[in-house]
Amino acid sequence: MRTENSSGKDIQSLVIALQPIAPYVQLEAVADLFLNSDYADVLSLPVVDDEGRPVGIISRYRFMDIYLKPYGRELHGKRPVSSFMGEKPLLVAHDQPLAEAALHVTQNMRFPLMEDFIITERGQYIGIGFVVDLLKAMELQMRAHSDELNEAYSRLKSSQLALVQSEKMASLGQMVAGIAHEINTPLGYVQNNVAMGQELFAQVQAMNDGYETLVDSLLDEQANEEQVTAHMQRVTTLRGDTNAREMLEAMQGLMADSLYGIGQISELVLNLKDFSRMDAAATENMSLNDCIESALNIGRNVLKGKVEIIKDMGELPRITCAPSQLNQVFLNLFTNAAQAMESNGRLTIRTWCEDGAVRASVRDSGKGIPSENLTRIFDPFFTTKPVGEGTGLGLAITHQIIQQHGGEISVESQPGTGTCFHIRLPVAVTVTQPDMPVHAALSLLQAA
Amino acid sequence: MSKPTLLLIDDEERILRSLRMLFFTGYNVHMTTDPHEAIRILRDEQVHVVVSDQRMPVMQGSELLRIARETSPATMRILLTGYSDLDASIASVNEGEVFRYLMKPWNGDEVKQVVAEAAAIAEAGFALQKSHAESAVVVPGKKPRVLIMDNDEATAQAVHEVLQGRCEIIWASDAQHAMEELAKQDVSVVVSDLMLGETNVGYILKTIKQLNPQTQCIVVTSFSDTNSLIELINQAQISRYLPKPLSRGTLARHLEYLLERFQALCNMPSLQQRQSVAPISNPQEKQLSENFTSLLGRLRKAGA
Repeated sequence: MRTENSSGKDIQSLVIALQPIAPYVQLEAVADLFLNSDYADVLSLPVVDDEGRPVGIISRYRFMDIYLKPYGRELHGKRPVSSFMGEKPLLVAHDQPLAEAALHVTQNMRFPLMEDFIITERGQYIGIGFVVDLLKAMELQMRAHSDELNEAYSRLKSSQLALVQSEKMASLGQMVAGIAHEINTPLGYVQNNVAMGQELFAQVQAMNDGYETLVDSLLDEQANEEQVTAHMQRVTTLRGDTNAREMLEAMQGLMADSLYGIGQISELVLNLKDFSRMDAAATENMSLNDCIESALNIGRNVLKGKVEIIKDMGELPRITCAPSQLNQVFLNLFTNAAQAMESNGRLTIRTWCEDGAVRASVRDSGKGIPSENLTRIFDPFFTTKPVGEGTGLGLAITHQIIQQHGGEISVESQPGTGTCFHIRLPVAVTVTQPDMPVHAALSLLQAA
Repeated sequence: MSKPTLLLIDDEERILRSLRMLFFTGYNVHMTTDPHEAIRILRDEQVHVVVSDQRMPVMQGSELLRIARETSPATMRILLTGYSDLDASIASVNEGEVFRYLMKPWNGDEVKQVVAEAAAIAEAGFALQKSHAESAVVVPGKKPRVLIMDNDEATAQAVHEVLQGRCEIIWASDAQHAMEELAKQDVSVVVSDLMLGETNVGYILKTIKQLNPQTQCIVVTSFSDTNSLIELINQAQISRYLPKPLSRGTLARHLEYLLERFQALCNMPSLQQRQSVAPISNPQEKQLSENFTSLLGRLRKAGA
């Protein structure tokens, strides 16, 4: 009789097609049914009339009530079940949703559990259902829902991680592109200078040979006038052709330029190394001014051509910080500033020390942020850029980095005039790990 | 000739000093970081060649070269830049009409050679202006021929609409067809995509320009690759690069201008040098080009 009906998602799958009893059936017959081993799991028997409509239910409990009394069997055995049945069975339509049915049943059932519920189709009896089965089915459903939710959550988390990573990649990519462009310029003139130096060497060498030969021939007692004249001619020609003095002078300048250019390239490579440590939680003692300089170097390409940069850097004590992260913060602020300023803008960077804290402000003369957006700009994924441009995570990450350093970042803005970001970092800092969800994702990345 | 005048513009002084060294002897070199100063020099002096950087604070190179073109059309224009930005490249073609587009870091010998070539062309132009030796020979007005190399119907439609029967329009279905048409008679303007079916027809544009410097070429394409554009500038001296979808107004304007230019070049052949091209760099393309040329030659002989 008992089948595993608890795997279904609807009432239909819980139906146990029990043969109902007619209202006129005698209690004796009902007793026999209850005693039958096939009916061992059944708590109650449904009573259904000729037209197939459920009219009542007789529970084992109720039955025992009658039969346990002295002479119960003798007194009532021949009477019809309709005299004793409960007339308000729990009815559940076969197409009722599981949750609804479960609610109805649990709200109306009585304790101790004495009855099964009756399942109907268009008002007609089709079977009974065990309350236990219903509750099991509900539990399975909830578990399925819960699984779905878990899956959705982990998909969300991984897409969030992907976004954070792509923001990091984008910022890294931007930085790499910037550096590549920056390196091209000194590379251009250093390469050319060295090539021309090579040529000039060859020429000057020829000249030198010429002079040496001439001097040798002048010192040589055996040399005749013709030879000396020939050598003199040669030197004179070379001299005229080469224009050595001027070229050598110019070349001096170019050598100095080349050394400068190589210095530039080295600095850019150093910056690259700094940024490649982006995931490191490594901390160092350094001055915020250095972080700003580093970010300016890298961001120079983005700022070039548009922006007048004004620096007002104070004397700053060294602080414990993760320099690659602070570099990222300033690069983010500078890039945002550059994007806010269409052309001919001004970027003012100030640093100073106040009340045991290191302060920095980055002010641009760009289009500003409307006040309704101002409170949201540090929110993850908030962006005013069109779809596909930017992840809206730059400032969120910036904010988080500053917080991790025990500091604060705030913003003020005047639409049409410009925006200013203020950063405050305590001098004594412990760089902490974050504990909020977005931030948890970030720390996961940092550990990776 | 006396030393040609060279004008160098870049916002990085060290680049200028380094470049100048290449032209230490043999040129009269002006250098400046200020584009406005450059424009003044172009106005007041006879400059043979102007070499400019692209990315500068005050003004973009392509913009400067556009002004240079208006101020001193005979001056040859070269863009030298480390920054290959597609928009800038397109501007340098369409507005600046640059002779060469060179990348940084540059090759010293290549730059010297390109500047020398440009200076010679400019010198010829100046000499001509002075002597009025060549009067415009007005070639009898044959109906101009426009060749379309693009499988996209929209292009052909656009050209037809704009020209409305003023020109003979040939729509080539493939490279073979294009060659046959070219064999019959020279073409004034070519309107071409970069791909004709499966074939990249860049080599055809380059070859046409080698054989027929007065033919003007408009490239219309949705494919935007800066490197191939730079090649087309240097090796095919394309006159215009218009992204798809084509706007009628834009196409009309450029077609008119180039048809006139073609006529001017026919009338004064010495001007044709101004658009001479660099040799094809890619070996396969070079081979294709040589084959094309010899086949074309044979077809012409057969037809003659």
